[in-house]
Amino acid sequence: MLHLKKSQLLLGGGLIWVFLSRIFQGDHTLELSTAENTSFTTSVGDAAASIRGNRTKSAAFIYFFNPIRATINGFVEAIRTLISVPRGNSIIPLIGWFGVAAIVAFTVYATSRLRTALLATALLLACGALGMWQFTMDTLAMTFASVLLSLLIGIPLGIWAGLSDRVLKILTPFLDLAQILPTLVYLAPLALFFLIGTASATIATMVYSIPLSIRITSHAIRNLNQSPIEAAVSMGSTGKQTLTKVQLPMAKQMIVLGINQTVMAALSFVVIAALIGAPGLGKPVVDALIIRNVGQGFVAGFAVVFVAILLDRSTSAAAKAQESFIPPTAVQIRNNRIKIGAAGLATIVSIFASRMVLSLAVWPTSINFSSQVEDVTNSATTWITTNLYIFTVGFKDFISNWVLNPLETLLAFSPWYVTLAAIIFLALVIGGNRVAILAAVLLSLIVFSGLWHEAMITLTQTIVATLMTMTIGIALGILVGRNKRAEKILRPFLDAGQTLPAFVYLIPMLGLFGPTRFTAIATGIVYSIPVVVKIVGEGIRSVPESMIEAATAAGSTVRQIITKVQLPAAKKSILLATNQGMIFVLAVVVIGGFVGSGGLGYLVILGGSKPELQGKGLVAGLVILLLGVMIDRIAQASAQRV
Amino acid sequence: MKFSLGRRSAAVSLVVVGALVLAGCSSSVNESADEASDCGTWAIAMHAWNGYTASAQVVAEVAKANGCTITQTTLEEAGVTYDAMEAGSIDVIIEDWGGGRWKEWVDRGAVVEAGDNGNVGLIGMYVAPWMAAKYPDILDSANLNKYADMFKTADSGGKGAWYEGPPGYTTIGEKMIAANKLNFKAIATGSEAALVDVLTKAEANKTPALAYFYTPGTLFIKIPGLEQSRIKFPANDWSDAAKASGLTDYPETQLQKLMSKKLMDSGSIFSTIVMNFKWTNADQNSVAADIEGGMEPAAAAQKWIDANPDTVAAWLG
Repeated sequence: MLHLKKSQLLLGGGLIWVFLSRIFQGDHTLELSTAENTSFTTSVGDAAASIRGNRTKSAAFIYFFNPIRATINGFVEAIRTLISVPRGNSIIPLIGWFGVAAIVAFTVYATSRLRTALLATALLLACGALGMWQFTMDTLAMTFASVLLSLLIGIPLGIWAGLSDRVLKILTPFLDLAQILPTLVYLAPLALFFLIGTASATIATMVYSIPLSIRITSHAIRNLNQSPIEAAVSMGSTGKQTLTKVQLPMAKQMIVLGINQTVMAALSFVVIAALIGAPGLGKPVVDALIIRNVGQGFVAGFAVVFVAILLDRSTSAAAKAQESFIPPTAVQIRNNRIKIGAAGLATIVSIFASRMVLSLAVWPTSINFSSQVEDVTNSATTWITTNLYIFTVGFKDFISNWVLNPLETLLAFSPWYVTLAAIIFLALVIGGNRVAILAAVLLSLIVFSGLWHEAMITLTQTIVATLMTMTIGIALGILVGRNKRAEKILRPFLDAGQTLPAFVYLIPMLGLFGPTRFTAIATGIVYSIPVVVKIVGEGIRSVPESMIEAATAAGSTVRQIITKVQLPAAKKSILLATNQGMIFVLAVVVIGGFVGSGGLGYLVILGGSKPELQGKGLVAGLVILLLGVMIDRIAQASAQRV
Repeated sequence: MKFSLGRRSAAVSLVVVGALVLAGCSSSVNESADEASDCGTWAIAMHAWNGYTASAQVVAEVAKANGCTITQTTLEEAGVTYDAMEAGSIDVIIEDWGGGRWKEWVDRGAVVEAGDNGNVGLIGMYVAPWMAAKYPDILDSANLNKYADMFKTADSGGKGAWYEGPPGYTTIGEKMIAANKLNFKAIATGSEAALVDVLTKAEANKTPALAYFYTPGTLFIKIPGLEQSRIKFPANDWSDAAKASGLTDYPETQLQKLMSKKLMDSGSIFSTIVMNFKWTNADQNSVAADIEGGMEPAAAAQKWIDANPDTVAAWLG
């Protein structure tokens, strides 16, 4: 009964909205031409300029920001000198490629097992064969540095949050916010304080990866089996003793898993960090977008995927190695010691060799398949863009004319107060009072920022992309959830889709659809489908077997089982997937500013290039955040109310 | 378990420390490297258009021949690069179009103006050449509205699509549209590559397109007739900057060189080379065309350097 009422309310509200929008079409849309500033964006711009002007003068910079920048720069550069860039007059870094490969092999072997070590080494060498050795080393250096710093901050904070409810309560909103925040947004503010370069990129990566290590560490501490802890306390252990002797050792595997997640988060930031001067694999990807070389983008993108698999497998294997509770026998310990000792010796010899022999120091130019891979990718893309252009453009125009434009008219070209009221009403029906109030506050702030119209254009693109993502994602999710074989076939694609940076497929999308809004939407769809499919598939799979059996016994067809049993039972996962999908889509849609999608993302990018629009760019970043929080809260509320 | 982890960490640390110690020792490979001269190591910003690549590559090759170590870093134009110059990671911009947008950084002493590079830039709005042939009067901006319907796309909001230049380029499209009362909508393309694609596809498929472009550049070689397909807008009176705020067309621009304060003060030969570097649009086009044709940028630059020894000698001061 209540459910019906809700849908009636939504329908009624929607009709009134469309009606009002029709009447007042084009009035009070708060449109602002791209080059125009409001008094607010001007004052933000002035503030930014004065911050830039004070970089060498103000105490905050001299005693706080600049030392941090110098320290982090020095740290990353030290690692780079070790494995990536030649020092001084030398032509090779301190350790040549052969030595690095040996160190990676040894480290993985010593922390897990031989098979993983071989895989890791092979992947590393594959990056070299793609002609990406130095970029790969830079990426490893950046990832290593930012993960190490993230863990130094994240693990202690995570332990604290694991032990104290108050700390967790204080940290939670920040952790939530960091997960919603689209990556493009905090580059400009960081660059303002830490300048373009390695330090900004490292800090940006940390902002992205610290929340994960905090979350997982505190989760690990909180979910321990309580009886050993109680036993320790009852035997008179102090809090410190309980922590170091009982809780931490028990939580070790989870914490190592947290390291794995932190590493993956840091790595997924690699490409976008190149926008603020991070050395590494992001550089060739971003270059490829600018000069529009699909092949180059993919070559570098493959290298990113290889590094991702390498780090993922080796860290999760290391986590698994912590699993065994059977103490090794004396013989096993001795054998192990001999094996590791021998491997260590071989590694040291390899490092030495990589410094003595030029061909082991500098990656040999003869082993480079990048041009072949580039050529194949480029000719495939050229074939697709020239031969399928008619279809892709037709599809793009269809979606643009029949979905995108009407929705944009409704959201962005109605008077702002009509759209604002409609969204608040929507939030009220879906999420209740608290969500409605939050939405009202956030939307008012957006109106105040002066970028309402652009915000609505971005929101339109996000909604359209999410709708299409969910249509495809639920269909694939049902397939994956019901069919083990389909899952097995799709799995690698989903994994690759999640690790391949969105930037990489922005380039072929640009070829297919030209500089349009749809290019950003299509990229957003490709980027967010994997996570949606995974969550929906999981939801379908977790529907109790008994329910399906009962339905089958009652004579339901397959279609009936899907629509009447599995989908309703998996409703919560679907709503969760929608939430995740929307956040992912938003992050990509704003990157679409690079390929002609306009909206807030374009303003952020413009702000980076045009000094007179820097204030507007910073404000646009803030508005993206407000929009993200609003979308997230409304979607979460709808999932929780099921 | 604890024991096993501890032992393994110890082994790993031991090897890493060993690596560091070894790395600290000098090695035969390192010693075989040439001793660089006192020019130093400098970074040139690389922007995405091929004319820029040509200029930067020639400067880089000349500098390398004079003992400098040169790194080339791809960066977005303007603010991003000026910030990088202030941060010390970039030393030279060899071609900047943005009349004075660097003022704030110059005032602060982070960036130094290094004069004209000899190239003269002219931005404009171009239609696909087949349109100029078929509708000769389209090249007069007064007639653009007559054809606006042809330029409509799904993204242009019922108006003609006006493909605007990338974020870092000098763009006044919105102002031109307003000043000329045009029924067009400026569409951000995001990158030069996208513009090239729009014009190339439009000419190949005989579809309408109106897009931002500029000379010097090699696109005019690839799309014959494009140079003649520039829309003529009523000229601005640039003698009075305040009056030019009703912006109706782009002026010709002397393209500028910028360098970091650090390079300026170093007294390095590289600063002399950058200061003196000057060549013509034809020079730039010849190198850019070679690069477009598939030659490695370094080889194309070297070819020009070999053919113009006197010009190069003059740069060395």
